[in-house]
Amino acid sequence: MDFHRHILAFATLAGKNLLRRVVRTSLAVTGVALAVAVAVSLAGFVKGYHGAITRSIDMLGFQVMVMAKGCPYEAATMMLKGGTGLLYLPDSIYTNVATDTGVASITPVFIGVAEKEQTSIQDDGAGSFIVVSGIEVPSFTTMKPWLSFQTGTGFDGGRWFTTDTEVTKEAPENIKQEVVLGYEVAEYEQRKVGDTIALTITPSGAVSSETHEYTVAGILSRTGTQDDGTVFMPLSSAQRIFNRPSQITVVGVKLKEFSSQAIRQFEERWISLPEVQIVGLQQVKSTLLNLISTAQAMIGAVAVIAIVVAIIGVINTILMSIHERTGEIGIMKAIGASRSDIFELIWYETLALCLLGGLAGIIVAYGGSGIIEFMLRHLIELGVQGEIVVISPGIIGLSLGGTVLVGFFAGLYPAWRASSMRPLEAIRAGE
Amino acid sequence: MIFSRLYSVRKVFLVSLIGILISLCLNPHVASAAIGCTLTNPAQDLRFVFPDMTSYKEDVVTFSSLANGEYQFKELESRIGRETDPVFDRIDTPYTVYSIFRGAEKIGIVHGVNIPGKGGVIQLFLSVDPSTRGIRQIFFQRLESPASKLFRDKPFRIQFEGLSLADWYMHDYYREKDPSNSRHKIAQIHPPKDLSEESLIDYYAIMQGVRKNLVILDLLLFQRASDQYFLRAQERLNEPTGVRPKEGS
Repeated sequence: MDFHRHILAFATLAGKNLLRRVVRTSLAVTGVALAVAVAVSLAGFVKGYHGAITRSIDMLGFQVMVMAKGCPYEAATMMLKGGTGLLYLPDSIYTNVATDTGVASITPVFIGVAEKEQTSIQDDGAGSFIVVSGIEVPSFTTMKPWLSFQTGTGFDGGRWFTTDTEVTKEAPENIKQEVVLGYEVAEYEQRKVGDTIALTITPSGAVSSETHEYTVAGILSRTGTQDDGTVFMPLSSAQRIFNRPSQITVVGVKLKEFSSQAIRQFEERWISLPEVQIVGLQQVKSTLLNLISTAQAMIGAVAVIAIVVAIIGVINTILMSIHERTGEIGIMKAIGASRSDIFELIWYETLALCLLGGLAGIIVAYGGSGIIEFMLRHLIELGVQGEIVVISPGIIGLSLGGTVLVGFFAGLYPAWRASSMRPLEAIRAGE
Repeated sequence: MIFSRLYSVRKVFLVSLIGILISLCLNPHVASAAIGCTLTNPAQDLRFVFPDMTSYKEDVVTFSSLANGEYQFKELESRIGRETDPVFDRIDTPYTVYSIFRGAEKIGIVHGVNIPGKGGVIQLFLSVDPSTRGIRQIFFQRLESPASKLFRDKPFRIQFEGLSLADWYMHDYYREKDPSNSRHKIAQIHPPKDLSEESLIDYYAIMQGVRKNLVILDLLLFQRASDQYFLRAQERLNEPTGVRPKEGS
């Protein structure tokens, strides 16, 4: 009990001392706060961005992708964003890879791009595009079991389009032209279940585009992945309208055992095919993380410099305060204050400065995380969806602990200097 | 002395609390689901419409933000003559109104609406004269239709120039369409020549879109200046068929 009272008395005295120079104290606290805000935001970004990349990759459903040879960065972009400028494979590759004993499930995907009308009121406005995926529903949904249909007014009754098998039974004129829309496409085009949607496609080898009309069979719930911005149709329909019969863009694979070794072995078995490259998710993930690691290191260095400057500021503030109170410290010692009492008092003052700055910095970082995320998304194409700045309780706790630790060490020198003063000399110097 | 200290502590506590609340409010993780219709590139697009403009102002209004928002939203339905789309036309749909200035003078208003067309959304913008509330020009930002070019062409769009919401309400008044009646201006609008039967859906969507755009402007911006025409048309529509005044009277 006495111990608590002792601490409380010293803390109160330290607080009063700090309030004697409100402007100076505020400036020192602001310095610490800014440094902590930078550090917390950076930690939140690192955590959030890693999480977003992992989520985006996990939500792809594929552990390994077999695709046409090309740049691995393009491959990574295509996996995450459904990119353009695509290369195609013969669908015999799918049939061959499906025989692999290590494969748990496999699905062929055809990716194409549908052109949209200009998006400007001016006559020369540029057009936009929508990603069209031709899929086989049973194998695709095995890969992505979380896909579900949006329900509610305008969306009820959603279902997958007529499957390829059913289509081939029909005469061409009876084939139902149906598509399933990702959530964002439906929102962007303001489509509901049962509406029609026009897709303008330039078939391979053709010089002019053709517009096809489809009925919307269903609208998928939001997934936070590239699927939200995709129009899905039967694989055979996509191959037909893009005039690429027997061609696919990607073979998505889930292995029975998901490990670096299993992926390497799978790659060794199939890399001998002349036209394919095998892209594992670990590879894509590391490629993307490598891209941002340099930027993160630079921002980290800035945060460290900011923290060092803030510590120097705190030490300077406390030393100035001690210098001003030299006489007062001398009197305190003369009337009975021990060396450890003075040490403790100055130390508490430093800790209080750092703690206040740390708390303010955390509040600023937490409050500003949404703004930072908004700015990052508008300045850089990050290639991932979901939150990219995540300030978790762990980061907050660690930052607060770090600030206290910094205060602990920053206070040692000023506290030692003040406690080492001789009473008479200090009183004389303070006069 | 004690009271003044207590007062200071309370002040510090209150300031801190307000700071925390502001920072929490600044964390904008929640986004509205309703989608509005904004220009892709306002500065360039507005200069295209008003070459002599010097500045513009952007105001975002929703019915939900109005004091009697729900009532006004119901009024919107009665004035466009149909129910609003429950998914995409909601009370919290944001409407962006661009006010165009030449110096201090307000020379125009530009406002866009989303209308579902046959093949995709139609984003229809009107530039309106702020003094007469009449249409200066109509534009399409997005128009996914096989007849897109026909609708975007000047001969079709020019038919709307000078029309105002009063003309649409009068269109309700003259229920029997008579293009020879010069006061019945809406009946004189024609679909583009060579328009295929299947693209008529988009034509009707555009007609509805122009009316909806003008009604929203009238409710949100012009303090229902055209309501007298609406009320007159309603009175007539409620009259028994036999006593309807002759067209043009």
